[in-house]
Amino acid sequence: MSTFVEKLRQYSKPGYYDEFDYHWTMTIDLDRCTGCEACVVACQAENNLPIVGEERFAQSREIKWIRIERYWEGEYPNIKMGFIPMLCQHCDDAPCETACPVYATYHNQDGLNTQIYNRCIGTRTCAVYCPYEVRYFNWFTYTWDEPLEQQLNPDVSVREKGVMEKCTFCIQRIRIAKDNAKDDDRRRVRDGEVVPACVQSCPTEAMLFGNSKDPEAKVSKMMKNTRGYTVLKDLNTTPSIVYLKKVHA
Amino acid sequence: MSISVLDALQPAKKPALIVLVLVFGLFVGAWVHGKYFSDRSPIQPIDFSHRIHVTDNEIPCQHCHIYAERTPVAGVPSVSKCMGCHNSVPSVRESPEILKLATYWENREPIPWIKVYDLPDYVHFTHKRHIKAGLACQECHGPVETMDRITRVATMKMPWCVDCHTEREVEHGRDCWTCHK
Amino acid sequence: MSKISRRDLLQYIGAGGIGVAGGVLYGEGVQRKVELLIPQVIPPEDYSPGVATWYNTVCNQCSAGCGISVRIREGKAKKIEGNPVHPVSRGRLCARGQAGLNVLYNPDRIRTPLQRADRGSENTAEISWDDALTTIGSRIGRLKIEGNAGRIRLLTGRTRGHLDELFAQFMNLLGSEHYQQYDFTYPSALAAANKTSFGTDVLPYYDIENADFLLSFGADYLGTWLSPVHYSRAYGNLRQGRQGQRGKTVQVEPRMSLSGAAADEWIAARPGTEGLLALGIAHVLVSSGSYTGNDRDEWSSALQAYSPSMVSAETEVSEDTIVRIAEEFGASTASLAIAGGATAAGTNAVASIVAVNALNHLAGNLGKPGGVILNSAQTFPAAAGSSPAGLQGALDLVAAMQAGDVEVLLVHDTNPVFSLPDNVGFRQAMENVPLIIALSSFHDETTVMADFILPTNTYLESWGDDVPDPGVGFPVTSLSQPVVAPLYDTLPVGDIILSLARQIGGELPIHMPWASMEEFIKDRWREEFDERMSEGQDQNFEAFWQAVLEAGVWGQPGAAAGGQPESSSSPTIAAIADPVSKFAGDETDYPFVLHPYLTATFLDGRGANLPWLQELPDPMTSVVYGSWAELNPVTADELGIEEGDVLEIESPAGSIRVPAFIFPAIRPGVVAVPIGQGHTSYGRYASDRGVNPIHIVATLMDKQSGDLAWAATRVKITNTGERLRIVKTDGVTRTLGRQILGPGNDHG
Repeated sequence: MSTFVEKLRQYSKPGYYDEFDYHWTMTIDLDRCTGCEACVVACQAENNLPIVGEERFAQSREIKWIRIERYWEGEYPNIKMGFIPMLCQHCDDAPCETACPVYATYHNQDGLNTQIYNRCIGTRTCAVYCPYEVRYFNWFTYTWDEPLEQQLNPDVSVREKGVMEKCTFCIQRIRIAKDNAKDDDRRRVRDGEVVPACVQSCPTEAMLFGNSKDPEAKVSKMMKNTRGYTVLKDLNTTPSIVYLKKVHA
Repeated sequence: MSISVLDALQPAKKPALIVLVLVFGLFVGAWVHGKYFSDRSPIQPIDFSHRIHVTDNEIPCQHCHIYAERTPVAGVPSVSKCMGCHNSVPSVRESPEILKLATYWENREPIPWIKVYDLPDYVHFTHKRHIKAGLACQECHGPVETMDRITRVATMKMPWCVDCHTEREVEHGRDCWTCHK
Repeated sequence: MSKISRRDLLQYIGAGGIGVAGGVLYGEGVQRKVELLIPQVIPPEDYSPGVATWYNTVCNQCSAGCGISVRIREGKAKKIEGNPVHPVSRGRLCARGQAGLNVLYNPDRIRTPLQRADRGSENTAEISWDDALTTIGSRIGRLKIEGNAGRIRLLTGRTRGHLDELFAQFMNLLGSEHYQQYDFTYPSALAAANKTSFGTDVLPYYDIENADFLLSFGADYLGTWLSPVHYSRAYGNLRQGRQGQRGKTVQVEPRMSLSGAAADEWIAARPGTEGLLALGIAHVLVSSGSYTGNDRDEWSSALQAYSPSMVSAETEVSEDTIVRIAEEFGASTASLAIAGGATAAGTNAVASIVAVNALNHLAGNLGKPGGVILNSAQTFPAAAGSSPAGLQGALDLVAAMQAGDVEVLLVHDTNPVFSLPDNVGFRQAMENVPLIIALSSFHDETTVMADFILPTNTYLESWGDDVPDPGVGFPVTSLSQPVVAPLYDTLPVGDIILSLARQIGGELPIHMPWASMEEFIKDRWREEFDERMSEGQDQNFEAFWQAVLEAGVWGQPGAAAGGQPESSSSPTIAAIADPVSKFAGDETDYPFVLHPYLTATFLDGRGANLPWLQELPDPMTSVVYGSWAELNPVTADELGIEEGDVLEIESPAGSIRVPAFIFPAIRPGVVAVPIGQGHTSYGRYASDRGVNPIHIVATLMDKQSGDLAWAATRVKITNTGERLRIVKTDGVTRTLGRQILGPGNDHG
């Protein structure tokens, strides 16, 4: 009987037996966020996001791995604006992963929801399944007006037409940090060693990133804040991003 | 009375055979190309011999490929590096290939070597990690020390990478994002 | 097996042959393109392939002077981040600062010196540096010999540090007094008001970080005001940086800005009466006994007239609110009042800011943590330098040009044709100047009038130093260095000035012997260092220089700030007597107040040629690529206007046509138009896109500071009946009960 239970657990939760080093997690404090969009440009620079142009923007074909959503509350003069940065939530139970017919998107051992561009055949199913609408499709092969291409980050692929893309939690930075840790003969990277571009740029320090498997990590402590919540919790996607709601004085 | 479809297929027999021969020909052609016309061993601008440098003169790999141990890129030696030694090797100073080198140096031009080992842009590969893991250069690059002209010995394709990672039980070695970027 | 006929055999052989050939061709086709492996001839010392290096320098995207770190791979700049050790940016950076890479790699950069035959046209001819400098040098030299050097003018944008000194020295040696700066965003009124209130026009350090109660009159400190990155970081700390203590912010402005959205309370007082509101709050502070200074009676009588009921009637802010805010402001241990934006852009700008400063005085916030901390004028290793002259300076220059008193005009890093109202007539006046030389990296509305364009390096390719203004309470100088080799045949602006000095000859090269800006700065730093630092210091200059270069900044965190502010009451009391702004255009003909506002992306328009910023949704409206006019939903309803209706907005000074956008957080009777778009010749990303509201601003001025009163224009609105699609990302702007902003936090 007990083996049966074990088997059931194993199937219902793949990777149940494996204990991995990391579970990358982000917290975003909406009481600090001012909606300034520094993170949006940071992401654009770091991850080689294309400039799609006015016409394609009007067709909602923009590519922004992180965006600021804005919500009004109340009416003039008692009106308030609520900002919330929206990016891939790296759900532990991600709807997009189950949707992909070619396994181009999958969950890796670090708790990241990843996308392999070469593998993607562009069915766009994952984008339909994603409740957060943070997956972006390359409707065209975008080009950079010369010499803007000299800025492109060599650590990140430039995507082509027909490929889905989204936030990677700046996996290239995670990779560099792990590389440095290995050079120093450390098993794990230190807390604060991996900083995604958006988190790095945030002028109000609203964002925090780290390994939630490490109980001493700042992010682990921040997650326990009483203001913490996950977006669209009812959908049981188990996001890796914990938001801290704004305080209304 | 039995009904057979074979009769109906009779007229299609010859075209089918022709297609079969054609497809077989395709495979033969691709094999021939791979065997005799491939880019595995291109003619380089200077007839550089690894055999002479490594076997005859016992120069270790990383004497010239200086970045291999500490960066993702092994690095081809700079022209100044080549000249650094060759200025003090009078025995071959007049050989035609060394004169070519001298000409590049005098014109302060880089040597346009043709790349033999090339990975696509979407692949993340770092020499540093592989060397620090204790791999010898020859494991991927073959017996370079015996080659007069450098020849690619591995396919440099994904299965080749994954096979090795699997065999050596590299940690997370089969996670896509270990190599893709 | 039947026999194969000869004919069939040939067919099979043919098929096989085609197959083999196809196979070979296929092999050739899938073969990788031949790539070359190009070694370096001589490798640079600090070079490692595939490994990034970071260099520290200074951002030049606005006047805050943030320290930045630039990531370099294989000689190319890849990313800009804040310099963690720099006291202004503290490792953070705004959207505009990060888009600096779009400046460096902009396809529209000027790549060689150019000569223009007919002004206003885009046709230019390439010319060599030698020819350009000889021609210009001889023209200037001749004027100097003739004793007409006063007919030479140099107009730059906000310039600080040793570049400012170089400009001043160059013009001095020529014998011209006419070196001036113009920057639309420079807060002349704030400096003038602080002179009245605190006795110094050096901008103080507003310690938002440690404040408990921040009362902002129009100052969008999170987006555009003075030093947004520094203040944003401070805001984060104000909210959640201290255990168990959350600072409160209140924003007074007619149209909700980024700072208004962040505020706990947003108050849309009647435009132009913000100073009056401050006086009303001051009245309560004094009358409630919260203020206990010796001069209490003086204040009491000066504020007598500004009772909450009177102020409430004028400002249309309820009496309760005024009293409540005054009480909270007075009761907070660290309260802080700041003024900027439209409050600092009325005809009474200085009076309004003085009134706001008075709040700080009355609440005892001066020189305290969480209050106003004065900066002293800095002299080492560089000085902050001269300040822009506001509208008055521009009008003087225009008058001189019209009178034919200007023979040569050198323009650098400022675009007055774009950022001055049309009525000023800058462009027309330029026609009277025989020789105009632009020192610029980009073509714009001003350089299009230049006869010679000398292309300058961008800030990422230049040497320089900078004293941040406002400072951070202790002496700081940032050092900028080129992080990449110049992309084109351009020169740093300092080098151009030095070359011109050599070309002109006379005593100029004797007093300006430096070969380059780098040499000049290092030389001046060495002089200052030897004078001030060498005693008691066991480091030599080279080590000092190297250390500053690596850190990107020099500072003395221990050193005292400007000391206790004077804040003598009598001049302050005299200055507050003008609490309400006047407007151009009378209310019956022009029923709306025009509220042009700076955006965090384009600022005064200089950021509009950067594609990342063009494609960055506006934080409050999510609009990209274009201009819009914001109207309150009620106003729009009354006029029957919907989003996308093209409106004709007419002021006494001119008119613009721009699509309407219904914006719920704007006062009825106000129409807000963002500044920044509406360029005509500013490269492919900016040109022919949107409108420039500055053009229809009336040329009213704040008398005391000479600053343009850009928020004091009335307009009328006509619906043209045309429609234009506004490109934006937002669909539904209510949460519709989805609890996106957190449980219990949205009632959408």
